[in-house]
Amino acid sequence: MSTSGDRRPARPQSVEEVSARLGEQAYLADRGLGTAIFLSLSLGQPLLLEGEAGVGKTEVAKALAPALGAELVRLQCYEGIDAHQALYEWDYTRQLLYVRLLQEGGELREDAADEIFGPRFLVERPLLQAVRAGDRAVLLIDEIDRADDEFEAFLLEMLSDFQVTVPELGTIRAERPPAVVLTSNRTRELHDALKRRCLYHWIDYPSPEREVEIIAARAPAVPADLARRVAGAVDRIRTLDLVKRPGVAETIEWAKALAFLGAERLERDSVEVTLGTVVKDHDDLVRIRDELGGILTDG
Amino acid sequence: MAEGAAAGGVDRVVPALAGFGRELRAAGLPVGTGQVLSFCRGLARLDPTDLRDVYWSGRTCLVSRHDDLAAYDDAFARYFLGAPAHRLVVTAGGTPAIDERRPALHAPAPAAGTERETSPRDVGHAASDVEVLRGKDFADCDPDELAAIGRLLAGLVIATPWRKSRRTQRARKGTRPDLRRALREHVRDGAVRDIPRRRPRVRPRPLVLLLDVSGSMSAYSRALLQFAYAVTRGPGRVEVFCFGTRLTRVSGALARRDPDEALRQAADAVVDWEGGTRIGDSLREYLRSWAWRGGCRGAVVVICSDGLERGDPDVLAVAMARLARLAYRIVWVNPLKAGPAYEPATRGMRAALPHIDLLVSGHNLASLAELATVIEAFD
Repeated sequence: MSTSGDRRPARPQSVEEVSARLGEQAYLADRGLGTAIFLSLSLGQPLLLEGEAGVGKTEVAKALAPALGAELVRLQCYEGIDAHQALYEWDYTRQLLYVRLLQEGGELREDAADEIFGPRFLVERPLLQAVRAGDRAVLLIDEIDRADDEFEAFLLEMLSDFQVTVPELGTIRAERPPAVVLTSNRTRELHDALKRRCLYHWIDYPSPEREVEIIAARAPAVPADLARRVAGAVDRIRTLDLVKRPGVAETIEWAKALAFLGAERLERDSVEVTLGTVVKDHDDLVRIRDELGGILTDG
Repeated sequence: MAEGAAAGGVDRVVPALAGFGRELRAAGLPVGTGQVLSFCRGLARLDPTDLRDVYWSGRTCLVSRHDDLAAYDDAFARYFLGAPAHRLVVTAGGTPAIDERRPALHAPAPAAGTERETSPRDVGHAASDVEVLRGKDFADCDPDELAAIGRLLAGLVIATPWRKSRRTQRARKGTRPDLRRALREHVRDGAVRDIPRRRPRVRPRPLVLLLDVSGSMSAYSRALLQFAYAVTRGPGRVEVFCFGTRLTRVSGALARRDPDEALRQAADAVVDWEGGTRIGDSLREYLRSWAWRGGCRGAVVVICSDGLERGDPDVLAVAMARLARLAYRIVWVNPLKAGPAYEPATRGMRAALPHIDLLVSGHNLASLAELATVIEAFD
C-alpha cells in the first residue's frame, strides 16, 4: 500500500525530536503532547486524545504521519459503524457479475469460489489497510465516541493484537504495529478497558503566545503584529460564556481573513465583517458584538 | 538511546513510582497495574530525574479521563513535592482545574417516606386502593401513599420513539438488497430466487428529564424523582437532572439498583431543594455543560416544572429556543395544569410555550402513565 518503502526515517529517539519533526510539519506540540506521542511510539500503545472541539486533535495524526515518513490511514467513526465498514468487505456486485460471466462462458469450475473470494474482490477498509502497512502507517481513529459500545469492543480486540482474519484468505498480521491515534469529543464516556489500553492526553487551548507561533507556522502571510492581536482577542473571546468557543482553526482563519483584507490592527469595522470566521453561532455573535469593546482593548 | 542506562535509573525509583500509583488510587483514580507498568517503562525512555518528564509521562499513562486531571495534579504535588496542590504550577498547557464537588445538602421534606420498612398500612393496599391512588394528586398524598406510588411507578416503562441507525438487519421487505447474502446463495444454489434484503436497524431515542425541585414544586418533587428512577430502567439512554436555582445531574445516582439507595443518593446530590426557581439559568447551564454530552440531540426532553420563574423570562425563552433546535420533542409537565381553570399565564410558561410540543399535568399516577403512552406515540 505504501510507497515510502524502506526509506522512511527512523522513529524519533527523544521528546525533543518528536516536537522538532512535528514542527517541520507546521504542527507545534508542547512538552506534554510531545511526551505523550514519544511514549506512545516507544511503548507501542495507542494514544487517546481528548479536548474541546477545534484544538487540533485530528491535526496531530495528520502531522505525525509525514513526520514519521508514514502514510496516514484514517477511520472516521460514526453512529452505527460496524466491523465491515472498518475492516474489509467483499465487492459483491463485481463478484456477482463475475459469477454470471463464468456461468455464461460455461467456465464455472470447482475452484471458482477461490477466485471469487480472492484478493481481487477484496475491498480493504482502513483497519485492514493499517494492519497491512504495519509501522509504515499512522492509523487515525477519529471521533471514536461517535461509534457504539459494540464497535468499541471490536476495536479493543483489534488494537491488542493487530491481526485480521479473513476466513477465505487467512490471517493477516502486522509484523510491527502502526502508530495509533484515537480522538474523542467526549460526547459519551468511553469504555474503561479501551482507555486502559491507551495512553491519554488532554489537549488544551494554547496560550496566546503559543497561538501566535501557531498562526506564524500555519499562515506565514499574516503580519506578526496582527497575529499577536488576533491571538489576544481570541483568548478573551474564549473566556466569555459561549455556546461554542472558537478553536485554533478559527483563530487561523480569522487572522488570514483580516490579513487578506489588509487589516493591520483590530478595528471595529474589519472585525465586524470577519467575525463569522471565528464565531459560528448566532447567539454567540450577538453576545460578542455586545462585548466588542472589551475584546478589542489594546488591539 | 542508552535505554539500558536509563532503565537502570528507573529500576531504583520503581518502588516510588508504584507508590505514586497507589497514591492516585487512594485519591479515587482508577489506575490499573498495566498503566503503572506503562508509566515505569515509559519513564525508562525519558529522564526519571526530570520532574517534568515524571509529570507528563505519569499524566499520559495513569490518567484516562479529563475529570481526573485536577486530582492527578493534587496527588502529584502531594507525593513528589510534598506541597499542597496550588503550589504546583505546570506551564505549557496546564489544565484549569474544575472543581465539581459542591457541598451536598440533604433533602429535607419527604424524609419520612424514604424509610422502607413496611408499615401495616402498606400491606393493606388492595386493588381498589390502587385505583384511588392513581387519581390522587401527589400533593394530597401522605408519605405512606407516596411510598406505595413509588412501587407502582416502578412498573412504569417509557419507551421513547425509534430512530434509524446506520446499521442494517435482515428483513424480508427491506429496502436495500443484501448483496453479500445474494452472492452466497448464488454460489451455493447456482441462482438467486428472491433477492434477500436488509433494512436499517432502529434504536430508541435518548430521553432527558429535567426536574424542578424548587420550593413551589416540593409536593411533587419526590414523586417525580421516583418517576425518574422508574424511567431510568427503560430501554435507551436516559439522563436525569434536577434544578432549582442550580442544575445537578442525578443520572449517576439513579443508576443504582436499590431504589431507596438511588433516591437517597440523588436527593443528596441536589444542592438546592426547595429554594427558588431559575428555570432559564438552569436550562442554559444544561445546554452549556451537558446538552452535547448529555445526549440531547434528537432526544425526547421532558421538563417537569410549574413554570414559576424567578429569573429573567427572556433567558428562558432563548434557552428554550435553543433546546427546541437540539431536541426531537419537548414535553412540559406542569402539575398546575390539573386545575380546571389553568391557563399558562405565568411569565415563565408564556416564554416557554412556543417551543413546547406537548403540555401535560403529571400531577398524579394516572397522568404520568398517560405521559408514558404519549411519549411512546411520538413520531
